Amino acid sequence: MESIINAFHIDYKIILAQMLNFGIVFVVLYFYAIKPLGKIMKERGDKIEKGVKDAKTNAEILDKSKAEYEEILIKAKSEADKIFQEGKKEAQTKKTAMLEEAKNEVALIIENGKKTLEADKTKMVEEAKKEIVTLVISATKKLLGEKIDGSLNEKTIKEFNNL
Amino acid sequence: MTIKETAQENILENGAQEGTEQVSHEVTIFAEPIKHFENFTITNALFSSWVVVFIIIAISVILRSKLREIPKGIQNLFEIIVEGTVSICDQVTNNRKLSLKIFPFAISVFFFILLNNWLGIMPIGGFGLIEEGAHGLAFIPIFRGGTADINMTLALAVMAVFGANIFGAFSLGIWKTFNKYVNLKALGQIGKKIRKDPTIILVAPITFFVGLFEIIGEVAKIASLSFRLFGNVFAGEVLLASIAALVAFFIPIPFLFLEIFVGMIQAFIFSILLVVYFTIGASDHDHEEGHEVKHEEEHDKVVIIN
Repeated sequence: MESIINAFHIDYKIILAQMLNFGIVFVVLYFYAIKPLGKIMKERGDKIEKGVKDAKTNAEILDKSKAEYEEILIKAKSEADKIFQEGKKEAQTKKTAMLEEAKNEVALIIENGKKTLEADKTKMVEEAKKEIVTLVISATKKLLGEKIDGSLNEKTIKEFNNL
Repeated sequence: MTIKETAQENILENGAQEGTEQVSHEVTIFAEPIKHFENFTITNALFSSWVVVFIIIAISVILRSKLREIPKGIQNLFEIIVEGTVSICDQVTNNRKLSLKIFPFAISVFFFILLNNWLGIMPIGGFGLIEEGAHGLAFIPIFRGGTADINMTLALAVMAVFGANIFGAFSLGIWKTFNKYVNLKALGQIGKKIRKDPTIILVAPITFFVGLFEIIGEVAKIASLSFRLFGNVFAGEVLLASIAALVAFFIPIPFLFLEIFVGMIQAFIFSILLVVYFTIGASDHDHEEGHEVKHEEEHDKVVIIN
Protein backbone atom coordinates (compact mmCIF):
# COMPACT_ATOMS: atom_id res chain seq x y z
CA MET A 1 0.00 0.00 0.00
CA GLU A 2 2.78 2.36 0.96
CA SER A 3 4.60 1.58 -2.27
CA ILE A 4 1.48 2.53 -4.24
CA ILE A 5 1.15 5.75 -2.25
CA ASN A 6 4.79 6.58 -2.90
CA ALA A 7 4.70 5.59 -6.55
CA PHE A 8 1.66 7.71 -7.36
CA HIS A 9 2.54 10.46 -4.88
CA ILE A 10 -0.86 10.13 -3.27
CA ASP A 11 -1.27 13.07 -0.94
CA TYR A 12 -4.43 13.50 1.15
CA LYS A 13 -3.99 17.28 1.11
CA ILE A 14 -4.12 17.35 -2.68
CA ILE A 15 -7.08 14.96 -2.59
CA LEU A 16 -8.88 17.36 -0.24
CA ALA A 17 -7.91 20.30 -2.45
CA GLN A 18 -9.33 18.49 -5.50
CA MET A 19 -12.51 17.70 -3.56
CA LEU A 20 -12.81 21.37 -2.71
CA ASN A 21 -12.30 22.21 -6.40
CA PHE A 22 -15.09 19.87 -7.41
CA GLY A 23 -17.25 21.25 -4.63
CA ILE A 24 -16.77 24.77 -5.99
CA VAL A 25 -17.54 23.57 -9.53
CA PHE A 26 -20.70 21.83 -8.35
CA VAL A 27 -21.96 24.78 -6.31
CA VAL A 28 -21.21 27.32 -9.04
CA LEU A 29 -22.68 25.17 -11.82
CA TYR A 30 -25.74 24.32 -9.75
CA PHE A 31 -26.57 27.81 -8.53
CA TYR A 32 -25.38 29.84 -11.52
CA ALA A 33 -26.27 27.59 -14.42
CA ILE A 34 -28.34 24.48 -13.81
CA LYS A 35 -30.91 25.86 -11.35
CA PRO A 36 -31.75 29.13 -13.16
CA LEU A 37 -31.61 27.38 -16.52
CA GLY A 38 -33.92 24.64 -15.25
CA LYS A 39 -36.27 27.28 -13.86
CA ILE A 40 -36.43 29.11 -17.20
CA MET A 41 -36.91 25.85 -19.09
CA LYS A 42 -39.70 24.79 -16.71
CA GLU A 43 -41.42 28.18 -16.99
CA ARG A 44 -41.21 28.01 -20.77
CA GLY A 45 -42.52 24.46 -20.75
CA ASP A 46 -45.41 25.48 -18.52
CA LYS A 47 -46.17 28.45 -20.77
CA ILE A 48 -46.16 26.25 -23.87
CA GLU A 49 -48.36 23.71 -22.13
CA LYS A 50 -50.73 26.47 -21.02
CA GLY A 51 -50.69 27.94 -24.54
CA VAL A 52 -51.58 24.59 -26.08
CA LYS A 53 -54.30 24.08 -23.48
CA ASP A 54 -55.67 27.60 -24.07
CA ALA A 55 -55.58 27.11 -27.83
CA LYS A 56 -57.54 23.90 -27.41
CA THR A 57 -60.09 25.62 -25.14
CA ASN A 58 -60.32 28.58 -27.53
CA ALA A 59 -60.88 26.24 -30.48
CA GLU A 60 -63.65 24.54 -28.52
CA ILE A 61 -65.19 27.91 -27.62
CA LEU A 62 -64.90 29.02 -31.25
CA ASP A 63 -66.61 25.87 -32.46
CA LYS A 64 -69.34 26.34 -29.87
CA SER A 65 -69.74 30.03 -30.80
CA LYS A 66 -69.89 29.14 -34.48
CA ALA A 67 -72.63 26.64 -33.84
CA GLU A 68 -74.48 29.16 -31.64
CA TYR A 69 -74.03 31.87 -34.28
CA GLU A 70 -75.41 29.64 -36.99
CA GLU A 71 -78.32 28.65 -34.79
CA ILE A 72 -79.06 32.29 -33.96
CA LEU A 73 -78.74 33.21 -37.64
CA ILE A 74 -81.23 30.54 -38.66
CA LYS A 75 -83.58 31.60 -35.85
CA ALA A 76 -83.24 35.28 -36.85
CA LYS A 77 -83.88 34.47 -40.48
CA SER A 78 -87.03 32.54 -39.67
CA GLU A 79 -88.16 35.28 -37.30
CA ALA A 80 -87.47 37.97 -39.90
CA ASP A 81 -89.39 35.96 -42.45
CA LYS A 82 -92.28 35.62 -40.02
CA ILE A 83 -92.24 39.34 -39.24
CA PHE A 84 -92.07 40.13 -42.96
CA GLN A 85 -95.01 37.91 -43.68
CA GLU A 86 -97.01 39.41 -40.84
CA GLY A 87 -96.08 42.91 -42.00
CA LYS A 88 -97.10 42.07 -45.51
CA LYS A 89 -100.42 40.75 -44.31
CA GLU A 90 -101.03 43.78 -42.12
CA ALA A 91 -100.08 46.13 -44.92
CA GLN A 92 -102.49 44.34 -47.19
CA THR A 93 -105.27 44.67 -44.63
CA LYS A 94 -104.48 48.33 -44.06
CA LYS A 95 -104.31 48.93 -47.78
CA THR A 96 -107.74 47.38 -48.27
CA ALA A 97 -109.18 49.35 -45.36
CA MET A 98 -107.71 52.61 -46.63
CA LEU A 99 -108.96 51.93 -50.10
CA GLU A 100 -112.42 51.26 -48.75
CA GLU A 101 -112.32 54.43 -46.69
CA ALA A 102 -111.13 56.44 -49.67
CA LYS A 103 -113.92 55.04 -51.78
CA ASN A 104 -116.48 55.90 -49.12
CA GLU A 105 -115.08 59.37 -48.80
CA VAL A 106 -115.14 59.89 -52.56
CA ALA A 107 -118.73 58.66 -52.64
CA LEU A 108 -119.62 61.05 -49.85
CA ILE A 109 -117.91 63.95 -51.61
CA ILE A 110 -119.76 63.13 -54.81
CA GLU A 111 -123.03 62.90 -52.92
CA ASN A 112 -122.42 66.23 -51.22
CA GLY A 113 -121.43 67.76 -54.55
CA LYS A 114 -124.61 66.49 -56.12
CA LYS A 115 -126.68 67.91 -53.30
CA THR A 116 -124.98 71.29 -53.50
CA LEU A 117 -125.39 71.25 -57.25
CA GLU A 118 -129.07 70.44 -56.93
CA ALA A 119 -129.58 73.23 -54.39
CA ASP A 120 -127.71 75.68 -56.54
CA LYS A 121 -129.74 74.61 -59.56
CA THR A 122 -133.01 75.06 -57.69
CA LYS A 123 -131.88 78.45 -56.43
CA MET A 124 -130.77 79.49 -59.89
CA VAL A 125 -134.05 78.34 -61.45
CA GLU A 126 -135.93 80.33 -58.83
CA GLU A 127 -133.86 83.38 -59.40
CA ALA A 128 -134.19 82.96 -63.15
CA LYS A 129 -137.94 82.66 -62.75
CA LYS A 130 -137.96 85.87 -60.69
CA GLU A 131 -135.87 87.59 -63.29
CA ILE A 132 -138.15 86.37 -66.06
CA VAL A 133 -141.28 87.55 -64.21
CA THR A 134 -139.67 90.91 -63.56
CA LEU A 135 -138.73 91.10 -67.23
CA VAL A 136 -142.19 90.06 -68.36
CA ILE A 137 -143.82 92.63 -66.06
CA SER A 138 -141.46 95.29 -67.25
CA ALA A 139 -142.22 94.35 -70.82
CA THR A 140 -145.93 94.23 -70.18
CA LYS A 141 -145.76 97.63 -68.42
CA LYS A 142 -144.13 99.11 -71.38
CA LEU A 143 -146.65 97.54 -73.62
CA LEU A 144 -149.73 98.56 -71.53
CA GLY A 145 -148.42 101.90 -70.70
CA GLU A 146 -147.86 101.76 -67.01
CA LYS A 147 -151.46 101.02 -65.97
CA ILE A 148 -150.77 97.98 -63.89
CA ASP A 149 -150.33 98.61 -60.12
CA GLY A 150 -148.10 97.09 -57.58
CA SER A 151 -150.56 94.47 -56.25
CA LEU A 152 -151.04 93.07 -59.74
CA ASN A 153 -147.36 92.86 -60.14
CA GLU A 154 -147.00 90.81 -56.98
CA LYS A 155 -149.87 88.51 -57.86
CA THR A 156 -148.42 87.83 -61.24
CA ILE A 157 -145.08 86.92 -59.75
CA LYS A 158 -146.72 84.48 -57.35
CA GLU A 159 -148.68 82.84 -60.12
CA PHE A 160 -145.61 82.59 -62.22
CA ASN A 161 -143.76 80.99 -59.39
CA ASN A 162 -146.45 78.41 -58.97
CA LEU A 163 -146.08 77.23 -62.56
CA MET B 1 8.93 5.48 -10.88
CA THR B 2 9.21 7.65 -13.95
CA ILE B 3 8.83 7.07 -17.63
CA LYS B 4 11.87 8.42 -19.35
CA GLU B 5 11.37 9.41 -22.89
CA THR B 6 13.91 9.05 -25.61
CA ALA B 7 16.74 11.49 -25.54
CA GLN B 8 15.71 13.54 -28.52
CA GLU B 9 12.10 13.65 -27.45
CA ASN B 10 11.56 16.66 -25.27
CA ILE B 11 15.04 17.80 -24.52
CA LEU B 12 15.12 21.53 -24.47
CA GLU B 13 18.30 23.30 -25.20
CA ASN B 14 19.12 25.90 -22.65
CA GLY B 15 22.15 27.00 -24.64
CA ALA B 16 21.88 30.72 -24.24
CA GLN B 17 21.96 30.74 -20.47
CA GLU B 18 23.42 27.41 -19.51
CA GLY B 19 25.99 26.85 -22.19
CA THR B 20 26.09 23.19 -23.19
CA GLU B 21 23.97 21.89 -20.27
CA GLN B 22 20.77 20.19 -21.43
CA VAL B 23 17.33 20.32 -19.86
CA SER B 24 15.47 17.02 -19.88
CA HIS B 25 11.74 16.51 -19.75
CA GLU B 26 10.46 13.36 -18.16
CA VAL B 27 6.87 12.26 -18.28
CA THR B 28 6.16 11.17 -14.74
CA ILE B 29 3.30 9.03 -13.51
CA PHE B 30 2.67 11.55 -10.74
CA ALA B 31 1.98 15.25 -10.94
CA GLU B 32 5.09 17.40 -10.57
CA PRO B 33 5.30 20.08 -7.88
CA ILE B 34 5.52 23.64 -9.10
CA LYS B 35 5.32 25.53 -5.80
CA HIS B 36 5.78 24.66 -2.13
CA PHE B 37 3.99 26.27 0.81
CA GLU B 38 5.24 24.92 4.12
CA ASN B 39 3.26 21.65 4.30
CA PHE B 40 1.34 22.06 1.09
CA THR B 41 2.65 21.41 -2.42
CA ILE B 42 0.97 22.83 -5.47
CA THR B 43 1.32 20.37 -8.34
CA ASN B 44 0.87 21.15 -12.02
CA ALA B 45 -2.26 18.96 -12.04
CA LEU B 46 -3.74 20.92 -9.14
CA PHE B 47 -2.92 24.18 -10.92
CA SER B 48 -4.65 22.92 -14.08
CA SER B 49 -7.60 21.94 -11.95
CA TRP B 50 -7.80 25.51 -10.58
CA VAL B 51 -7.73 26.83 -14.15
CA VAL B 52 -10.63 24.51 -14.97
CA VAL B 53 -12.55 25.74 -11.92
CA PHE B 54 -11.93 29.32 -13.09
CA ILE B 55 -13.12 28.48 -16.63
CA ILE B 56 -16.29 26.82 -15.29
CA ILE B 57 -17.01 29.79 -13.01
CA ALA B 58 -16.52 32.17 -15.96
CA ILE B 59 -18.81 30.13 -18.23
CA SER B 60 -21.45 29.88 -15.49
CA VAL B 61 -21.39 33.62 -14.82
CA ILE B 62 -21.60 34.39 -18.56
CA LEU B 63 -24.45 31.91 -18.94
CA ARG B 64 -26.28 33.37 -15.95
CA SER B 65 -26.00 36.89 -17.34
CA LYS B 66 -27.31 35.79 -20.75
CA LEU B 67 -30.28 33.76 -19.57
CA ARG B 68 -33.39 34.81 -21.48
CA GLU B 69 -36.84 33.33 -21.93
CA ILE B 70 -36.12 32.96 -25.65
CA PRO B 71 -32.79 31.08 -25.71
CA LYS B 72 -29.89 32.30 -27.82
CA GLY B 73 -26.27 31.21 -28.36
CA ILE B 74 -24.65 29.70 -25.27
CA GLN B 75 -28.04 29.22 -23.56
CA ASN B 76 -29.21 27.08 -26.49
CA LEU B 77 -26.13 24.91 -26.17
CA PHE B 78 -26.58 24.45 -22.42
CA GLU B 79 -30.29 23.71 -22.75
CA ILE B 80 -29.46 20.95 -25.25
CA ILE B 81 -26.80 19.59 -22.85
CA VAL B 82 -29.15 19.71 -19.85
CA GLU B 83 -32.01 18.04 -21.73
CA GLY B 84 -29.64 15.41 -23.13
CA THR B 85 -28.18 14.69 -19.67
CA VAL B 86 -31.61 14.35 -18.08
CA SER B 87 -32.78 12.02 -20.83
CA ILE B 88 -29.63 9.85 -20.43
CA CYS B 89 -30.19 9.79 -16.65
CA ASP B 90 -33.80 8.71 -17.33
CA GLN B 91 -32.50 5.70 -19.25
CA VAL B 92 -30.52 4.64 -16.17
CA THR B 93 -32.96 5.52 -13.39
CA ASN B 94 -36.29 4.97 -15.19
CA ASN B 95 -37.57 7.68 -12.90
CA ARG B 96 -37.74 11.35 -13.95
CA LYS B 97 -37.89 12.61 -10.36
CA LEU B 98 -34.74 10.71 -9.43
CA SER B 99 -33.02 11.81 -12.66
CA LEU B 100 -33.70 15.46 -11.84
CA LYS B 101 -32.04 14.95 -8.44
CA ILE B 102 -28.98 13.13 -9.80
CA PHE B 103 -28.26 14.99 -13.02
CA PRO B 104 -26.67 18.11 -11.40
CA PHE B 105 -23.97 15.85 -9.91
CA ALA B 106 -23.47 14.01 -13.19
CA ILE B 107 -23.26 17.17 -15.30
CA SER B 108 -20.81 18.80 -12.85
CA VAL B 109 -18.56 15.74 -12.86
CA PHE B 110 -18.79 15.55 -16.66
CA PHE B 111 -17.69 19.15 -17.22
CA PHE B 112 -15.01 19.02 -14.54
CA ILE B 113 -13.44 15.85 -15.97
CA LEU B 114 -13.92 16.88 -19.60
CA LEU B 115 -12.18 20.23 -19.19
CA ASN B 116 -9.39 18.66 -17.15
CA ASN B 117 -8.90 15.99 -19.83
CA TRP B 118 -8.83 18.54 -22.63
CA LEU B 119 -6.61 20.97 -20.78
CA GLY B 120 -4.05 18.17 -20.47
CA ILE B 121 -3.80 17.70 -24.23
CA MET B 122 -3.77 21.39 -25.13
CA PRO B 123 -0.56 22.32 -26.89
CA ILE B 124 0.59 24.54 -24.02
CA GLY B 125 3.14 22.11 -22.63
CA GLY B 126 5.91 24.55 -23.49
CA PHE B 127 5.04 26.74 -20.50
CA GLY B 128 6.90 25.56 -17.46
CA LEU B 129 9.71 25.80 -14.99
CA ILE B 130 13.30 24.59 -15.18
CA GLU B 131 14.42 23.06 -11.92
CA GLU B 132 17.42 21.15 -10.65
CA GLY B 133 16.48 17.47 -10.60
CA ALA B 134 18.24 14.23 -9.70
CA HIS B 135 19.62 13.95 -13.23
CA GLY B 136 20.45 17.59 -13.87
CA LEU B 137 18.11 20.32 -15.06
CA ALA B 138 14.53 19.21 -15.62
CA PHE B 139 11.65 20.93 -17.37
CA ILE B 140 8.41 20.91 -15.39
CA PRO B 141 5.35 21.87 -17.42
CA ILE B 142 3.03 24.23 -15.60
CA PHE B 143 -0.06 22.49 -17.00
CA ARG B 144 -0.86 18.82 -16.63
CA GLY B 145 -4.29 17.35 -17.13
CA GLY B 146 -5.89 17.21 -13.70
CA THR B 147 -7.18 13.72 -14.43
CA ALA B 148 -3.65 12.58 -15.25
CA ASP B 149 -3.00 12.74 -11.51
CA ILE B 150 -4.30 9.92 -9.33
CA ASN B 151 -5.01 12.36 -6.50
CA MET B 152 -7.73 13.99 -8.50
CA THR B 153 -9.35 10.82 -9.86
CA LEU B 154 -9.21 9.36 -6.35
CA ALA B 155 -10.89 12.47 -4.95
CA LEU B 156 -13.66 12.23 -7.56
CA ALA B 157 -14.12 8.48 -7.03
CA VAL B 158 -14.30 8.85 -3.23
CA MET B 159 -16.83 11.65 -3.64
CA ALA B 160 -18.87 9.59 -6.12
CA VAL B 161 -19.05 6.50 -3.91
CA PHE B 162 -19.60 8.35 -0.65
CA GLY B 163 -21.99 10.72 -2.40
CA ALA B 164 -24.03 7.76 -3.68
CA ASN B 165 -24.35 6.38 -0.15
CA ILE B 166 -25.22 9.76 1.35
CA PHE B 167 -27.78 10.23 -1.43
CA GLY B 168 -29.12 6.75 -0.60
CA ALA B 169 -29.35 7.67 3.08
CA PHE B 170 -31.37 10.77 2.17
CA SER B 171 -33.61 8.81 -0.20
CA LEU B 172 -34.17 5.63 1.81
CA GLY B 173 -33.16 6.59 5.31
CA ILE B 174 -29.98 5.96 7.29
CA TRP B 175 -31.19 2.62 8.73
CA LYS B 176 -31.88 1.05 5.32
CA THR B 177 -28.59 2.31 3.88
CA PHE B 178 -26.71 1.00 6.92
CA ASN B 179 -28.42 -2.39 6.54
CA LYS B 180 -27.11 -2.68 2.98
CA TYR B 181 -23.64 -3.16 4.48
CA VAL B 182 -24.23 -4.35 8.04
CA ASN B 183 -27.40 -6.33 7.59
CA LEU B 184 -28.68 -6.49 11.15
CA LYS B 185 -32.19 -6.70 9.81
CA ALA B 186 -31.41 -10.11 8.27
CA LEU B 187 -30.00 -11.39 11.57
CA GLY B 188 -33.01 -10.03 13.42
CA GLN B 189 -35.37 -12.00 11.19
CA ILE B 190 -33.95 -15.32 12.40
CA GLY B 191 -35.98 -15.11 15.60
CA LYS B 192 -39.12 -13.99 13.80
CA LYS B 193 -39.21 -16.47 10.94
CA ILE B 194 -37.44 -19.55 12.24
CA ARG B 195 -40.69 -21.43 12.95
CA LYS B 196 -42.20 -20.63 9.61
CA ASP B 197 -39.02 -21.04 7.58
CA PRO B 198 -36.19 -22.94 9.32
CA THR B 199 -33.78 -22.31 6.41
CA ILE B 200 -33.51 -18.73 7.57
CA ILE B 201 -30.89 -19.83 10.07
CA LEU B 202 -28.57 -20.44 7.09
CA VAL B 203 -29.81 -17.69 4.77
CA ALA B 204 -29.67 -14.81 7.28
CA PRO B 205 -25.95 -15.13 8.16
CA ILE B 206 -25.12 -15.44 4.46
CA THR B 207 -27.15 -12.28 3.78
CA PHE B 208 -25.30 -10.58 6.63
CA PHE B 209 -21.90 -11.52 5.16
CA VAL B 210 -22.99 -10.47 1.67
CA GLY B 211 -23.64 -7.07 3.21
CA LEU B 212 -20.12 -6.99 4.56
CA PHE B 213 -18.78 -7.91 1.13
CA GLU B 214 -20.63 -4.90 -0.24
CA ILE B 215 -18.20 -2.74 1.73
CA ILE B 216 -15.34 -4.32 -0.20
CA GLY B 217 -17.37 -3.70 -3.35
CA GLU B 218 -17.55 -0.01 -2.51
CA VAL B 219 -13.76 0.14 -2.09
CA ALA B 220 -13.41 -1.66 -5.41
CA LYS B 221 -15.67 0.93 -6.99
CA ILE B 222 -13.35 3.69 -5.78
CA ALA B 223 -10.31 1.86 -7.14
CA SER B 224 -11.90 1.05 -10.50
CA LEU B 225 -13.29 4.54 -11.02
CA SER B 226 -10.07 6.33 -10.12
CA PHE B 227 -7.58 4.02 -11.89
CA ARG B 228 -9.71 3.72 -15.07
CA LEU B 229 -9.87 7.47 -15.54
CA PHE B 230 -6.28 8.08 -14.50
CA GLY B 231 -4.95 5.22 -16.67
CA ASN B 232 -6.82 6.29 -19.79
CA VAL B 233 -5.91 9.96 -19.56
CA PHE B 234 -2.31 9.38 -18.56
CA ALA B 235 -1.88 6.79 -21.34
CA GLY B 236 -3.28 9.31 -23.81
CA GLU B 237 -0.80 11.96 -22.74
CA VAL B 238 2.09 9.48 -22.97
CA LEU B 239 0.88 8.42 -26.41
CA LEU B 240 0.76 12.01 -27.63
CA ALA B 241 4.23 12.76 -26.23
CA SER B 242 5.65 9.60 -27.83
CA ILE B 243 4.12 10.28 -31.24
CA ALA B 244 5.27 13.91 -31.10
CA ALA B 245 8.79 12.68 -30.27
CA LEU B 246 8.81 10.32 -33.23
CA VAL B 247 7.33 12.72 -35.80
CA ALA B 248 6.92 16.32 -34.75
CA PHE B 249 4.58 17.56 -37.51
CA PHE B 250 1.18 16.44 -38.90
CA ILE B 251 1.29 12.82 -37.67
CA PRO B 252 0.28 13.70 -34.06
CA ILE B 253 -2.85 15.52 -35.32
CA PRO B 254 -5.08 12.40 -35.71
CA PHE B 255 -3.89 11.21 -32.29
CA LEU B 256 -4.75 14.59 -30.85
CA PHE B 257 -8.31 14.22 -32.17
CA LEU B 258 -8.40 10.69 -30.82
CA GLU B 259 -7.46 11.98 -27.37
CA ILE B 260 -10.09 14.72 -27.58
CA PHE B 261 -12.60 11.96 -28.23
CA VAL B 262 -11.17 9.71 -25.50
CA GLY B 263 -11.30 12.62 -23.04
CA MET B 264 -15.00 13.06 -23.78
CA ILE B 265 -15.73 9.33 -23.58
CA GLN B 266 -13.94 9.00 -20.24
CA ALA B 267 -15.84 11.95 -18.79
CA PHE B 268 -19.07 10.40 -20.05
CA ILE B 269 -18.23 6.96 -18.60
CA PHE B 270 -17.41 8.43 -15.19
CA SER B 271 -20.63 10.45 -15.16
CA ILE B 272 -22.78 7.49 -16.21
CA LEU B 273 -21.20 5.28 -13.56
CA LEU B 274 -21.89 8.00 -11.02
CA VAL B 275 -25.55 8.02 -12.08
CA VAL B 276 -25.63 4.22 -11.80
CA TYR B 277 -24.12 4.30 -8.29
CA PHE B 278 -26.51 7.03 -7.18
CA THR B 279 -29.46 5.05 -8.59
CA ILE B 280 -28.31 1.89 -6.79
CA GLY B 281 -27.83 3.96 -3.64
CA ALA B 282 -31.41 5.25 -3.85
CA SER B 283 -32.98 1.86 -4.66
CA ASP B 284 -34.52 -0.22 -1.89
CA HIS B 285 -33.47 -3.91 -2.11
CA ASP B 286 -36.03 -5.04 0.48
CA HIS B 287 -38.82 -3.34 -1.42
CA GLU B 288 -37.75 -5.00 -4.68
CA GLU B 289 -37.43 -8.39 -2.98
CA GLY B 290 -40.85 -7.87 -1.42
CA HIS B 291 -42.24 -7.16 -4.90
CA GLU B 292 -40.61 -10.28 -6.29
CA VAL B 293 -42.06 -12.43 -3.48
CA LYS B 294 -45.47 -10.88 -4.08
CA HIS B 295 -45.20 -11.59 -7.82
CA GLU B 296 -44.20 -15.19 -7.13
CA GLU B 297 -47.12 -15.64 -4.75
CA GLU B 298 -49.53 -14.19 -7.32
CA HIS B 299 -48.06 -16.45 -9.98
CA ASP B 300 -48.57 -19.48 -7.70
CA LYS B 301 -52.17 -18.45 -7.10
CA VAL B 302 -52.76 -18.18 -10.87
CA VAL B 303 -51.25 -21.63 -11.38
CA ILE B 304 -53.45 -23.11 -8.67
CA ILE B 305 -56.55 -21.50 -10.15
CA ASN B 306 -55.67 -22.80 -13.60
